[in-house]
Amino acid sequence: MQDEMSPFSAAPDPELGEALRSALAPHFAEAFVGRVMARLGQRQQRGWDEELSQWFWRGLVAASLVVVLAGWGLTQLSGATLDATEASVGSQMLEGSTPVADIVIASMTSSTP
Amino acid sequence: MTGVDEGELARRASEGDAEAYGLLVERHAPMARRVAYAILEDREDADDAAQDGFLSAWQAIARYDPRKSFRPWLMQIVVNAARDLRRRRRVRTADSLESVSPASRDDPARAVGDRDLGERLRTALATLPERQRIAVVMFDAEGFSQAEIAVFLGIPEGTVKSDVFHGRRALRKVLGSVKEEWDAR
Repeated sequence: MQDEMSPFSAAPDPELGEALRSALAPHFAEAFVGRVMARLGQRQQRGWDEELSQWFWRGLVAASLVVVLAGWGLTQLSGATLDATEASVGSQMLEGSTPVADIVIASMTSSTP
Repeated sequence: MTGVDEGELARRASEGDAEAYGLLVERHAPMARRVAYAILEDREDADDAAQDGFLSAWQAIARYDPRKSFRPWLMQIVVNAARDLRRRRRVRTADSLESVSPASRDDPARAVGDRDLGERLRTALATLPERQRIAVVMFDAEGFSQAEIAVFLGIPEGTVKSDVFHGRRALRKVLGSVKEEWDAR
């Protein structure tokens, strides 16, 4: 053991260090390492489960978006068809030609609220 | 794989190699458990904290810089884990500290009585303020520099020097008294 040191000494005391390591020596070293690695394995396993779960929710969100977009697209498409029908009736009336019956019926249907 | 360089093991662990990380755990578990004990003063709590530290380190291993030493990086995580646990179990710890009488804090060598050196040192450690206890164990038992300890504990290096000095002086009394007894036999 070294003699009394200055408070500013930066040299470790080897004898005290050895005595402390011995006094604080942990028991069951292998069991501890095994326990840590087992927990680590559990976490990794859970990590995969969580990853899969995240992919499931991502997939669900993506599928919902596709459905919403498809619905919106179909709505836009049918709206465009009606507009086209109305435009064709209007243009035929303006042109002075007599619209055929199915165009008149389509015009009436599209203007009905 | 026992002869593999620590930096190499840490690099492999940072790439997700659990086996390499297991070897690092094996190498550093005694140190981590001793330091956690110095903070928590309870073997079960110390093991829980050391385990938490190793698991946190594994989760953060991708952020570890393999060019730097693995030991201080791990130590910082273990110290944080032990201090977190200490905060959570403050009531239990306060109870254990109350078991040391105020008189024994003034003279650890007298307080420890006629017990084996290990037990005497552990009892003497328990009489020290937490910071002195951690500083002297990390410095003398684990070989960390005072600058490193200052970073671990978030205090100035001068404070670490002072803590090491005072903690060591108290423990030396115990060590000295045991040696005197041995010499007298």
